[in-house]
Amino acid sequence: MAKYFDVSVEDIFNTMEARFRVEGAKGVNAVLAYDISGDGGGKWLVEVRDDSVKVAKTDDLSGFSVKTSADAETFVGVNIGKIDGTQAFMSGKIKIEGDMALVAASAKMFTRYSLPKKSAVTVQGIFDTLVARFQPQNAAGLDISVGYDITGDGGGQWTAVLKDGKCALETGLRDNCAVVNSVKAKDYIDLILGKLDPMVAMGSGRLKLKGDMNVAMQLPKIFAKFEPPKEEEEQELIVIKRNISVDMKYSTGPVMGKFFEGLIEKKILANKCPKCGRMQVPPREVCAECRCWAGDMIEVGPSGTITLIEIIYYSSPDPLTGETRETPYAQVHILLDGIGKEETFWHLLKNEDLADTKKGDRVRPVWSDNRVGSVHDIIHFERIRD
Amino acid sequence: MTEENKHCYIKEGKLALPYQYFAGRIGSKFLVSLRDKKKILGVKCEKCGKVFIPPRKTCERCFEDISEKWVELSNEGEVTNFTVVRTDDKHHPRKAPYVLAMIKLGGADTPIAHILDGVDPDSVKIGMKVKAVFADKAVNTMLQIDRFEPVK
Amino acid sequence: MKKHKKNRNVAIVGIGQTHHSSHREDVNQPEMIHEAVELALKDAGIGIEDVDALVHGNMELFEMVHQPDLWHVIGTGGYGKACYRVTTGGTTGATIVGVGDNIVASGLHDIVMIIGFEKQQEGHTTGGITNMADPLWARNLQTGALTGATAEKTINEFGADRAKRAAMRLRVTLDKHASLNPHAHRNFGLDYDQIDDLMVNSPQLVGELRLIHMCSQSDGAVAIILACEEKAKKISKKPVWIRDHVTVHREETFNMFGINENQEVTHHNAARKLFGRNGITNPREYFDVFEMYDPSSWWGLDWLREFLQLEGDEHLKMVENDEVSINGSFPLNPSGGVISTNPIGATAALRVAEAALQVRGDAGAHQIPREVKHALASGFGGTFWTVLFMLEKDLDWQEAE
Repeated sequence: MAKYFDVSVEDIFNTMEARFRVEGAKGVNAVLAYDISGDGGGKWLVEVRDDSVKVAKTDDLSGFSVKTSADAETFVGVNIGKIDGTQAFMSGKIKIEGDMALVAASAKMFTRYSLPKKSAVTVQGIFDTLVARFQPQNAAGLDISVGYDITGDGGGQWTAVLKDGKCALETGLRDNCAVVNSVKAKDYIDLILGKLDPMVAMGSGRLKLKGDMNVAMQLPKIFAKFEPPKEEEEQELIVIKRNISVDMKYSTGPVMGKFFEGLIEKKILANKCPKCGRMQVPPREVCAECRCWAGDMIEVGPSGTITLIEIIYYSSPDPLTGETRETPYAQVHILLDGIGKEETFWHLLKNEDLADTKKGDRVRPVWSDNRVGSVHDIIHFERIRD
Repeated sequence: MTEENKHCYIKEGKLALPYQYFAGRIGSKFLVSLRDKKKILGVKCEKCGKVFIPPRKTCERCFEDISEKWVELSNEGEVTNFTVVRTDDKHHPRKAPYVLAMIKLGGADTPIAHILDGVDPDSVKIGMKVKAVFADKAVNTMLQIDRFEPVK
Repeated sequence: MKKHKKNRNVAIVGIGQTHHSSHREDVNQPEMIHEAVELALKDAGIGIEDVDALVHGNMELFEMVHQPDLWHVIGTGGYGKACYRVTTGGTTGATIVGVGDNIVASGLHDIVMIIGFEKQQEGHTTGGITNMADPLWARNLQTGALTGATAEKTINEFGADRAKRAAMRLRVTLDKHASLNPHAHRNFGLDYDQIDDLMVNSPQLVGELRLIHMCSQSDGAVAIILACEEKAKKISKKPVWIRDHVTVHREETFNMFGINENQEVTHHNAARKLFGRNGITNPREYFDVFEMYDPSSWWGLDWLREFLQLEGDEHLKMVENDEVSINGSFPLNPSGGVISTNPIGATAALRVAEAALQVRGDAGAHQIPREVKHALASGFGGTFWTVLFMLEKDLDWQEAE
């Protein structure tokens, strides 16, 4: 199995169910498809439904909510944090088809794949410190050899020769050992680190002691406890996250005030510059071009013609709540009937009209039943289809 | 009321935005020390001799890099000035009335503003000896010191 | 040569910028600024005690911190000095250089340091910009600075395929420039053979404005030291002269979207004024390099026409014929531009700084391969307003008219 950064694509998918976070997947019902190309790649479907997850290797990716395609190296690299996901996505190395928002959500649904921690402690490392850990005060009068037969990967044979309050370490097993410890390398490391209980190890036959059991029992006193080398800790960097919300009061002034009064009566009012005749909607106190007071209000629309339609795919926070807006939605700029040639009116388009509405189409406002003098007195504009 | 004023309204609104703040290496060391060791750290400018809290990278007067010149300060200090907050606001850290005091810790040259609790607001005095009471849980801001209280 | 009257000549004598990145968890705001300040002082070979005044700028609401200029003093070195805070949206970086230029030219201060910064990771860029709109109306509708309007306009004028191809070609060109700039926030290693793919597959933000077209959100800071002629000549072997700058505002333009006839945009207006009063009749020939504030590739493409006062499809041809590449006849944004690096309060100041580095010949790997005597740098903000600078290597325009 091809590995990238010591991890295979299979490793990522095989651990996915274990890495699933129920709290991050609340209310999510989706099928995430993965098409991983190159050595070690394949196709997987990850089905998230009713707070559970099912991961399956497959040949058929149909019926997905979102599909992620990448080469095996990029996929592994992004999953273990060795490659920047945004960078890979922007440069086209990762392609996403379907509901983009699910990709961001999946970061919350699964904890990050972490490399199985390689033990920094080796058998050799333990024996390198054996002489230094020798406690002569607990070995007075002893004249014996202790044998270690550590089997398996990373193992070896050593003999500790204790004599005259001194300890010497030889490689290989002496014939005259008072006691010989036989154990697999991995179990030996666990025993030394205190992760494996010696009694359990002996009871299960994983640790075999041959020779003088009394000597064996004294060994923990003769040698001080092995201290594993401390890993360099990364400094914790503090970040605080807040969602500030400040209550505000805004004054309408008389011009915008009259405009809001109009909305309550289902009328759209513009104001007219007494000098150049320009109309503004929503009205503004002055004509910015002539710099004069423009107080005369004239009813316009309410229907009009779209001059620009903007379909928003990017979700941004609503300034009133800080909550994220749902996408896609469309904003329209409308030349209301009777306004003149240049002053467009900005509002939202009815979601149902999003698919087939374009510049030049005619629209009309859909009024809210609860009009209080606000932008929301008009729910949105809808296409005039009759 | 004039004719025009009749058309003037006040609309309730909000300004709401998510944000975050990074304390940086120096600020993080300070906050982690408060949280994990209950020790208050400052930094010393070796040029002018001033000990600053909260710690900062630069001495603002000498413009020297002092980021590695850590000193441990006392958890006790004295009130150099104070005010009594007597209005309530949702952004305030306590219900009124409460005391906001400037407190100069032992070993520091700059005072810090903090909440002084456990004393009648009317009997707070400049020069009063106070000590830091640390928060039980992780806060990761200056309120990792929950409050100051008078030394009994 | 025609010139615009200035009380005193002003030169750029020191430039410092941080590395720009999407995240700087290792430093807080004053610490990040301090990095740029130290570099600028070192570049100028002076100490903070030589600086008379500071001009500090960033975007309002971006980090949700009030009065950053006050609590940044420990990083700016502003203790006891005259300090000004300026915030004018996207143009902030250009406006602070403009303010520095003005207060040195006026004779008020001899040496002024301008500092622009942003830590965009700390706030919400699009949310912040949205909150700048009229709270009673536009705020409820706006999506920050994202708009597909220019894409639609360009597509309507030149056809979808040619327009999309030109915008993406400019995008790839600037990505190649960014790869030469060690300070740049992002470069993706894009190549021209990806144009067809990216035109279709890069996710849409608004209409035909796609993710790959849009500028980054960066953390970073820049400091520039300005000096009067007398001091500049003493301090620097290679002072870069700010010959002139112009600022053009207009009312917000939400009310005319989709209507393009008969509206002179502020970029065109600013360039017309600046070139007119300095006797520049052919800017494409006169300027050796242009550092443009290009928030998206669609805008970058369209604005070439506005700034250079071009007609028809000349601006498209400049991109299609690679004239705007670093080796071309009119190099645009050899630094990689805003599209690659955008700590907004610093962004427009970086345009001036990068243009000045080109004039000095100190831009390093992204230095254009011929002598730069005249450079142009722009700032953009709000719903269309403009600051435009012209920088000179020599003081030779002084022998006026």
